[in-house]
Amino acid sequence: MAGLATTFGSGAMTNSINEITGAEVIFVIGSNTTEAHPQIARRILEAVDNGAKLIVADPRRTELSRSAHIHLQLRPGSDIALLNAMMRVILSEGLIDDAFIEMRTENFKELRKHLLSQDIDKLAAVSGIPVSQIKKAARLYAGAQKGVICYCLGITQHICGTANVESIANLAMLTGHVEQAYTGVNPLRGQNNVQGACDMGAIPGVFPGYQPVSDPVIREKFERAWGQALPSEPGLTITDMTHRGRKNGIRAMFIMGENPVMSDPDASKVEETLKGLEFLAVSDIFLTETASLAHVVFPAASFAEKCGSVTNSERRVQLMHQAIPPIGECRSDSEIITELAGRLGYTMAYENSAEIMEEIALLTPIYGGIFHDRLETSWGLQWPCPSRDHAGTPYLHKYSFARGKGRFVPAENITPDELPDDDYPFILMTGRVYHHYHTGAMTRASDILSREVPEAVLEINSDDAREKGLRHGDMVSLRSRRGEIEVRVKPVDTISRGMLYVSFHFHESPVNRLTNPALDPVAKCPEYKVCAVNLEKA
Amino acid sequence: MKKNILKKDHVRPFLRKLARDSRLIAPVRTSHRDLLYQEIESIDSAEIDLSEQPQESAKQFLFPQQEQLFTYQNTSKGFTFSPRKSGMPTVLFGLRSCDISAILYMDVIFLRSPRDHYYLEKRRDTIIIGIGCNEPWDNCFCNATRTGPFLEIGFDLQLTDLGDRFYVESGRAVGDEILEKWPQFFSPVTEEDEKLRYQLMLEARSGFKRHVHVETAFQKIADNSVSPSVWEHIAKRCDGCGGCAYICPTCTCFTIFDRPLSPHTGERLRTWDACTHDGFTRMAGGHNPVNPATDRLKRRFMHKLYYDYKQFKRPGCVGCGRCVGICFGGVDIAMFVDMVCAEKRDQRQSAAVIGDLLVEAGLITRKQLSEALEKRDRTGMPLGSVLMEMGIVTKEDIANCLADKVERL
Ligand code: SF4
Ligand code: SF4
Repeated sequence: MAGLATTFGSGAMTNSINEITGAEVIFVIGSNTTEAHPQIARRILEAVDNGAKLIVADPRRTELSRSAHIHLQLRPGSDIALLNAMMRVILSEGLIDDAFIEMRTENFKELRKHLLSQDIDKLAAVSGIPVSQIKKAARLYAGAQKGVICYCLGITQHICGTANVESIANLAMLTGHVEQAYTGVNPLRGQNNVQGACDMGAIPGVFPGYQPVSDPVIREKFERAWGQALPSEPGLTITDMTHRGRKNGIRAMFIMGENPVMSDPDASKVEETLKGLEFLAVSDIFLTETASLAHVVFPAASFAEKCGSVTNSERRVQLMHQAIPPIGECRSDSEIITELAGRLGYTMAYENSAEIMEEIALLTPIYGGIFHDRLETSWGLQWPCPSRDHAGTPYLHKYSFARGKGRFVPAENITPDELPDDDYPFILMTGRVYHHYHTGAMTRASDILSREVPEAVLEINSDDAREKGLRHGDMVSLRSRRGEIEVRVKPVDTISRGMLYVSFHFHESPVNRLTNPALDPVAKCPEYKVCAVNLEKA
Repeated sequence: MKKNILKKDHVRPFLRKLARDSRLIAPVRTSHRDLLYQEIESIDSAEIDLSEQPQESAKQFLFPQQEQLFTYQNTSKGFTFSPRKSGMPTVLFGLRSCDISAILYMDVIFLRSPRDHYYLEKRRDTIIIGIGCNEPWDNCFCNATRTGPFLEIGFDLQLTDLGDRFYVESGRAVGDEILEKWPQFFSPVTEEDEKLRYQLMLEARSGFKRHVHVETAFQKIADNSVSPSVWEHIAKRCDGCGGCAYICPTCTCFTIFDRPLSPHTGERLRTWDACTHDGFTRMAGGHNPVNPATDRLKRRFMHKLYYDYKQFKRPGCVGCGRCVGICFGGVDIAMFVDMVCAEKRDQRQSAAVIGDLLVEAGLITRKQLSEALEKRDRTGMPLGSVLMEMGIVTKEDIANCLADKVERL
């Protein structure tokens, strides 16, 4: 997100999901779209049916790569090398969009200088992809009229996540693939409301609508509305809070709908931190691993038991209706918050979620025209939507970037924080499977979904498996510098030698005990995607 | 069988009588404007709406998505089992023809011996009051599956919308009984009513927006002429979510789970299942005889369009169109049928081109060509492969021929 903010001025998907269908070339990088975003994968396949060309860059042979015209099976963590190499080709072959660069961007000189200093053969060697393939992909993408890039956590969950995203933005701007319909850069959000949570200021340093807490004018606006003095300093990031260990200055925590004991890297550290708190309250729909550590647990209502809005990847604010009355003693999140605030001495008297939406519209310019009655009868509105008569914005950066001019930010390839060595010779990647969601708190409670994928499996290249004497179904113990887990292996041909892949949904094989908490310096996102491990038969 | 007229004003009072000692299910417009078959709690406040096809079928009322079969207690003397309470009489009101046909299909599946007790117990006391469709919706193709838009049999009563009134016909003795039990709501049918109804039926039949050639597809599958690339194309697009089977009114596969309720008690549940799920066919050791990369949807479509045809002389699809648009991968049965039918044409055309070119080039004779074509139809192999297998031409001959043709273009 931070990467798009520095280059384009806004961190959201620039296109609408439906526009993908009309693209000529689609470049998917760091996204297992079919399993993680089936609704988007569907549009991509539709585009392919219509004759579009598909380029997939992924260290694994994913389902989507089977439909790709070019599959760039790069080394994990070498995205910048690949992107720089593509840009270098585009530059030397004169495929750049001069008019666009001239009128709409700045800092091109720097990028040009940087690219010219790069040696394409070296870059290719770093990424593990033959030069001829890189050239093919670069020409294909640059030659398209309507080119779309989709990326996901395979790009952001690295120590160089921000630089990765900036490089993607560089590539798009270099070829002028930003400003129109069917053309743009699209970070895919993994959950139905991650975008909404960010929009609402659930990130340190901003109020709703990305309005900085450091700006006194903005702070005053919120202080007036909420009748309360507000801090001018950004808050802490999640890993700042959860990786402090015991006796760390934080005394109490309230965790809503998160399961950091399972989902954060170096999970043993998280457990230690939470156990060291004087008071922990958790609200969730099931008793998660994190909730079991809490002093107080609030049973929360699921999506089907409440009414409110969510904002998806394409910035679309949609209304979700209550389908069934809350089961048992559970309450909606907003009720839990307002009740709690009341008991703590701050009254939050909202009649319903529509009234909360009105307050959002009042204080958040990008949501200024979004009201429940407008959402009721439609498929939602895409922000920015500043006023009631505004129809919403299907694609961003038309005629000008949110920050004025798009800024090229050249990047060097940054090797992952932890590389394989003699003690830990394998690279472990983590990700999800189609049938489970996040830490499995919800999906593992479903019999059918649990039957579909009952446990974590470690994918290993079949040649590596043979060398290690491992057969399908064997249990192995998997070790990193931070911890050890047991997991069942599955030899596959979809990943290269030296790589391993495992999903993170299962508490029996808590893979985040192994992952590396090294952070991207800007976005503070941990490097989940690459860490060094070793394995042996359990 | 009896025919009557029911004024629209009298529908609510009539339903009130029906609901007195039965559970009443009808299409309801929900507060957020969905149209769903729902159990009616209060006749006065529910917005019963017969103007459209409901989004889901009525399958769940006879075969619920999840159903408790019994509970068990583990005591010191071992296990004891308690059967679940049995159902109550039900009136399914306002069912579309496809949904009624689907129930008739489920009857065949569940009531063949050995009968499914849980289905029977609900089905036995169910009255079906259907409504014919004056206007098919965008994705309907019940004309092709012969399950609508109006039915001849299968209902207890069938309504036809004549504007301010319904034409009501009974299809079974139970229907007659209802008409006789509350004669105050019904008046005789006039000749004008008959004419109007006939006209509406004709119009409905000609109003289909899609033409899905289900029978042709059956023929092609029977002839074994669906090429593997078709299966692969759709398998690639299927994520195995099971959505198409869950929405389908005739998909009846289920699986069984035991779930603990406390340390000493538990329940046995049956839950809808889907043949597109991996776990449906996966063996204990992890091997799956269905290769998801190539065959994931084969079972589903073969079952509906081929095995059922062979067994029951009709497809296992009632043409309700509900699986159209629900799939993440954009796959549905109508699209598959279209693909199968189109494919044959293309294949024939390209085969004809290659065949003619080879004849023109003097590499094969007309007679050899017709022999090869016959063999191709029998085996489903591409024409080129057949000719090569017959030893008449080589790969290079075909390639040269095509290259010449391209040059001439
Ligand atoms: S065909 Fe589509 S709806 Fe059916 S299981 Fe596959 S992905 Fe799901
Ligand atoms: S296969 Fe599709 S169209 Fe046919 S009955 Fe099932 S849901 Fe309806």
